[in-house]
Amino acid sequence: MSTDTEARPGAQAPGRAGTLRKHPPLYRRRTRAAWGFALPFVILFVTFTAGPVLMSLAMAVTDIRSRDLRNPFAVEFIGLDNFVAVLQDPMFRKAAGNTAYFVLVGVPLTLAVSLGIAVLLNAGITRLKTFFRVGYYMPVVTSIVAVAVVWRFLLHPEQGLINEVLGWVGIEGPNWLASTTWAMPSMIAMATWRSMGTLIIIFLAGLQGVPTALHEAAALDGAGAWQRFRHITVPTMRPTLLFGAVITGIGYVQFFEEPFVMTQGGPLNSTLSVAFHTYNQFGFGNYGYAAAMSYVLFLAVVLLTLVQFRLLGERDTPRRRRRKAVPVANKEVGR
Amino acid sequence: MNRTVRGTVGVVALVTLGLTGCGRGDAADGGSDEAEAVAEGEASGSIEVWAMGTEGEKLGDFAEAFTQENPDVEVNVTAIPWDAAHDKIATAIAGGQTPDVSMIGTTWMGEFAATGALDPTPDLIDSASFFPGAWETTDVGGTNYGIPWYVETRVLYYRSDLVPQAPTDWAGLTAMAQQAQAGGAEWGVNLQPGQTGAWQTFMPFAWQAGAELVNEDSTEFTLDSPELVEALTYYQSVFTDGLAPTDLPQGSLEPDFMAGDIASFVSGPWHVGILEELDAAGMADVALAPLPAGEKQASFIGGANLAVFKDSENRDAAWKFVEWLSRPEVQVEWYGAVTDLPSVASAWEDPAIADDPYLTVFGEQLETAVAPPSIPTWEEVASVIDTELERLCKSGADPQEVATAIQEQAAAIGTGL
Amino acid sequence: MSAATDRRPSPVEPSPGSPVLRRTRERPIGTARPNAVAYAVLGLGLVVVMSPFLWMALSSIKSEGEIRRVPPTWWPEAPTLDNFRELFERLDFPQFFTNSALVATAVTLGNLLFCSMLGYVLAKSDFAGKKLLFRVVLGTLMIPGMVTLVPLFVLVANMGLVNTYGGLILPFLAAPFGVFLMRQFFLGIPDELIDAARVDGASEARIFVQIVMPLAKPALATLAILTFLGSWNNFLWPLVVATTEDKYTLPVALALYSTGQNQTDYGLLLAGAVVVVVPVLVVFLLLQRYFVQGVAMTGIK
Repeated sequence: MSTDTEARPGAQAPGRAGTLRKHPPLYRRRTRAAWGFALPFVILFVTFTAGPVLMSLAMAVTDIRSRDLRNPFAVEFIGLDNFVAVLQDPMFRKAAGNTAYFVLVGVPLTLAVSLGIAVLLNAGITRLKTFFRVGYYMPVVTSIVAVAVVWRFLLHPEQGLINEVLGWVGIEGPNWLASTTWAMPSMIAMATWRSMGTLIIIFLAGLQGVPTALHEAAALDGAGAWQRFRHITVPTMRPTLLFGAVITGIGYVQFFEEPFVMTQGGPLNSTLSVAFHTYNQFGFGNYGYAAAMSYVLFLAVVLLTLVQFRLLGERDTPRRRRRKAVPVANKEVGR
Repeated sequence: MNRTVRGTVGVVALVTLGLTGCGRGDAADGGSDEAEAVAEGEASGSIEVWAMGTEGEKLGDFAEAFTQENPDVEVNVTAIPWDAAHDKIATAIAGGQTPDVSMIGTTWMGEFAATGALDPTPDLIDSASFFPGAWETTDVGGTNYGIPWYVETRVLYYRSDLVPQAPTDWAGLTAMAQQAQAGGAEWGVNLQPGQTGAWQTFMPFAWQAGAELVNEDSTEFTLDSPELVEALTYYQSVFTDGLAPTDLPQGSLEPDFMAGDIASFVSGPWHVGILEELDAAGMADVALAPLPAGEKQASFIGGANLAVFKDSENRDAAWKFVEWLSRPEVQVEWYGAVTDLPSVASAWEDPAIADDPYLTVFGEQLETAVAPPSIPTWEEVASVIDTELERLCKSGADPQEVATAIQEQAAAIGTGL
Repeated sequence: MSAATDRRPSPVEPSPGSPVLRRTRERPIGTARPNAVAYAVLGLGLVVVMSPFLWMALSSIKSEGEIRRVPPTWWPEAPTLDNFRELFERLDFPQFFTNSALVATAVTLGNLLFCSMLGYVLAKSDFAGKKLLFRVVLGTLMIPGMVTLVPLFVLVANMGLVNTYGGLILPFLAAPFGVFLMRQFFLGIPDELIDAARVDGASEARIFVQIVMPLAKPALATLAILTFLGSWNNFLWPLVVATTEDKYTLPVALALYSTGQNQTDYGLLLAGAVVVVVPVLVVFLLLQRYFVQGVAMTGIK
């Protein structure tokens, strides 16, 4: 396999005539050097990732079930039947709707909250920085079971803290986890709370790349915090924001743990996610069907990622991004 | 991307071509196995055993008595967490990495037996010594695999201060619940209103009404029988009459029961320990009774089995070890080590078990406890029942319609035999 | 990795060592003055964010009965170390801890090296096959892990790696996640910096080691923390691939006795959760200070 990947650049070279004609030896040398860098990863990747992925794709187009585990080659090729069955499965449709709801609300919410906290942590405070950083990372490392117990208590209809607080302002809170309307928002809140820590540290690292000088200059010139955030921080952080958005999207499309520990997908399947449904199907031994469902989910993630790359401008590589950012800053500075 | 897609399609096509070439000719052999005899004499060699949780922790030392009887044998026990034991066994079967013996949850028997990975039970094992319901869990398509190792069953836990006498039939259960609520309890009884595992609470009612879940040779489901509808109707009435909660927050059952807010519930032997830990003094007001009966008495039987794998390199010794674990006196000792309830009926005559007031209730219930059909697809069908029960209890769906829905989905899944 | 090294002339751009820059080292990015509102918001958020962790830690020294109480108590009524004692008595702790540490460290180091190497060329080099490689790597990041579990195990079994450290480590030594993360961070490094070195005749390896990696400390720290955490907490794979207890990792061992067939021992479970979290916090504390290194690096140009 690895020889195959190594051969590929050579095979592709003629197609790159334009580049080649410009600097043939340089481009070839750079390609060789680059693949040298890539090689360790590629070898491990081809061995341990590509193989199983292809095998799982093969599973998705067969009727393999747990009874075939010992004779995986004794299964029938059934083409796209599994995929057709998935799309016709009422449970899958319900789960797909729930997952879409979760992703469309959850991803932007999580990104916004995390970025806000990261900016505050980075620039809003000078003391106790480490303390705060560790604190906000805690949800990520806290055992999901402990998390579940505390959240169940927070969301308890009579004794829960949330309904208590709502009671102060005269609102009678619902039985969150037992309500088909409120169970999903509860899951979203919990997922946001759990995922924030990771995004905060990613964003903190990204914030270190934001040009201090521009901030200083803009501030001297009277630009408000929001303006500076909008025109300096956000453009510079685009690759990081994109990363955060894509990673969160991937995680959220596959969301599973929160309903698994909190609601078992209920009440009345209102928090059943596609990943949960898939997990169940694997558990039942319907490997072909579950593999097909996994790849439907995969397509959904790919679509979401493409949208995110479009929105957060992968094409705007640093060069152009800076071109955009600087005039804004200059304008502010010159005002 | 195009190139990737094309490459992938190519590989997949190749792989699948290979696959179709094989076909399902010599596929799974579950159900048509012949058990081979086990050689006489002492066991020898090493036996790899997988067991879950506490059983895995204690079995190694416990097996020393076996190695004393059979000095040439070595028993190596690996403890496995319950959490993902099913996945571990499934992947081990796929990778050809199975041990000689493994503990297997009773409801997984159908699935794993159908892979052809399990060895049929030889004559060495005395099938008549086990509770009939427990022995049924090893029967997959007419062939028995492994043995029942320990059992559990479901009984009625109730507050003796709120309920003067345990109900003996369905009408009595309703009356008891009403009476308890009149006496101050918020809920007369707790029955699981759907979601994971609810079928284990519901099925006893169906069996009590005389329902059978599958036909004689386990090839078709009979889940829309009038008996099943009757059980669904009663189960639903408990909720519509306001006697049982539909939205009890998780973890509230035990504290609410000990506080007298819930007068009774249905569960297995592990709840004795949980309640004791929560409020040892309050146990004076806690009593157990067999489930209220319908046409006849019945409950759910669970627990775990021991199975020997076909790929075992030391099959005879493995079976001898399993046979040893099923001896009544060893079962009593095993109860002493981990408090697992014996699957062998005669072990219950031992005073260590017979004199325990709580255990006698479980012992009585076990006589009539029933196992769900050991078919490869049972877990999937059970999850359908869980989902439909939730609709029945929370949305007020019509029992007949629910039964039809269960039957239709189950039929689409098939029994897998 | 700072984009502050922007070459474009800017009227106020400080030169290295100028008073402006020194000041920004102490008080980074756009701060006028530390803000009481910021402290209030962050402090309030911290209470919300930390409370489950605190409850977990406090409850690990409660009895099983107290943990199960509704509503839960905060402060232990009768603090006890029984849960921890039981855990340490029943489990071969040094062995499991060593296994976990070995696996997580190897996986982290592997990812730091391999992912940054590939991430670097994907971000900063123009070569044949680059787009394809990036798309394939990114694509596999999106495949749900469940689907490859059985095929991966069959593969590892065929390689004879079942119940070996190789089987525990190798499949995770190079993860697409790290490549994507490192690539995104490397994109922020000005091309001019690298081009200048290239013109000076520096080899790619030298540029990578001497220029790129030092600039990437915040990203490397982030990757290290996330990879370590992921590997440290990994449950399903070590369970499946280890067939004797001497190869179990901590999370697998901790799950042994806390979760039964029909009930959960919350005391053991929470004590285990506390134990397993400590090394992760230590790693986090050690590495989090690198989050701000990038600012000081501004001086490089």
